[in-house]
Amino acid sequence: MTNIIEVSGLTKRFSGVTAVDDATFSVGENKIYGLLGRNGAGKTTLMQLLTGQDFATKGEISVFGQSPVENASVLQHISFIKESQRYPEDFRAKHVFRSAPWFFSNWDADFAEQLIADFRLPLNRRIKKMSRGQVSAIGVIVGLASRAPLTFFDEPYLGLDAVARQTFYDRLLADYAEHPRTVVLSTHLIDEVSNLLEHVLVIDEGRIIIDEDAETLRGSATTVVGTRPAVDAFVGAREVLHRDAIGGLASVTITGLSAQERKDATAAGLELAPVSLQQLIVRRTNTSEKEFEAIA
Amino acid sequence: MTAITTVRPPASALGRVLNVVKLHVTNPWNTIAVPWMIMGIILLANLAIWGIILSAAAPADRVSIREGLAYSGGSTFIFVYMMVVAIQAISVTFPFALGFGVTRRDYYLGTALAFTGLAAMFSIGLTILAAIEDATGGWGLGGRLFTTAYFGENWIQRLFIYFAAFLFFFTIGMAAASIWVRWKANGIIAFFIGLGIVVIGGAALLTYTNSWGGFGNFFATAGLVGSFAWSLVIAAIAGISGFFVLRKATPKN
Repeated sequence: MTNIIEVSGLTKRFSGVTAVDDATFSVGENKIYGLLGRNGAGKTTLMQLLTGQDFATKGEISVFGQSPVENASVLQHISFIKESQRYPEDFRAKHVFRSAPWFFSNWDADFAEQLIADFRLPLNRRIKKMSRGQVSAIGVIVGLASRAPLTFFDEPYLGLDAVARQTFYDRLLADYAEHPRTVVLSTHLIDEVSNLLEHVLVIDEGRIIIDEDAETLRGSATTVVGTRPAVDAFVGAREVLHRDAIGGLASVTITGLSAQERKDATAAGLELAPVSLQQLIVRRTNTSEKEFEAIA
Repeated sequence: MTAITTVRPPASALGRVLNVVKLHVTNPWNTIAVPWMIMGIILLANLAIWGIILSAAAPADRVSIREGLAYSGGSTFIFVYMMVVAIQAISVTFPFALGFGVTRRDYYLGTALAFTGLAAMFSIGLTILAAIEDATGGWGLGGRLFTTAYFGENWIQRLFIYFAAFLFFFTIGMAAASIWVRWKANGIIAFFIGLGIVVIGGAALLTYTNSWGGFGNFFATAGLVGSFAWSLVIAAIAGISGFFVLRKATPKN
């Protein structure tokens, strides 16, 4: 597999704050990546570094084999849609879609038009008069219709209602199937996008704490439910990610089980439930926080 | 480098710069329409004032009124306004263009080219208005707005002086906007404090070395056209400094 992005030892410090802390990872070609993490975890800074919008304090970034900073041959193939993207105030949506094809050589005008209809975007309204959701829709449409070989979506859905968000996920997936490209989607609505993602990067306090295939990650934990003695006996000395108990019943999330262990659990009268990506990440993030505290 | 497939070939180096030029006039309202409308309103207001003066003054005084109007400052506003246009244009299109994968270098070159084009367009327009003003004896009222003394004596001088003045204000605007984009309000405050120190320091230097006479002589010797030609040096310094300031700017919210 070819890597589109290679990052090693990347650090970005602002006055007193380390927004990205010694990050090392790579992004493979034609896959959908989820860049997940809590607010302020460093997602936007990381994407700004990858797109040459910000400058690294330390470390190496290689995108399409080169540094992205002030590098037109790299940046021409990147579309970066930020939740906070600013548009010229006097622009109407039509001005954005008129200028976008000049900058994105893969721009598909028909697709853009279809998306404009899907999102019911008023083309003639001034952007400063638009609702938050409509402004977000402009970004989503640019990001999809630009069909850039490397597309970043940074929390693109702010103000979009559930229907519009679903439209975004559906169009992204359908268009991705026809025109494979590398997509990095940053979000904190993890469960909504979990079916889209092929690979997951979790960033917490500037550190990459999970860098795993989505499928592997989903299988990496299971919740065991049953009577408390039976659950305790089965769990034994395994690593426990989470524990809930009501009366005589217990529900314990533990790290992945082999096929044989699953059989054993079923034989012991226990129920096995899958763990959602969101729960998994919340739990892993908490664990790591405790680890950090222990080290400090 | 990984092979990248695109439907159309990506823009060439020149094409990328021209794309930024187009971006500045995608919505020509603020950069072209509003300045001309302001110019039109200034002209109408002056026509009204001249009309009032003429109807109130004795016929014998008309010649001296016409001489007095040679120092009208009505049209100077348009030059200062272009500085505002430059600052506005950069502060809104810079984060937008970077979101479209434009490099800072291409952005700045395209912006400089766009402003030079606007300077040329407005200079030609003002030169034509000056010619009309001459031909109609000051819009039929003996008024002077575009042919005032400090714009030169003939159309070639006027065209040059207008163009140099527009470039001066555009480049100062570009430098100020770059400072704003990179350091926001703190940068602008520091810039004006620095500028104040330089101006006061320069004035002090001229005073203590008894050089005010020489300073005045410099402009007298250079003449009107020569002085405006020297302003291009300041414009070049401002334009180039702006580039190095913007080169390290990050689009912020």
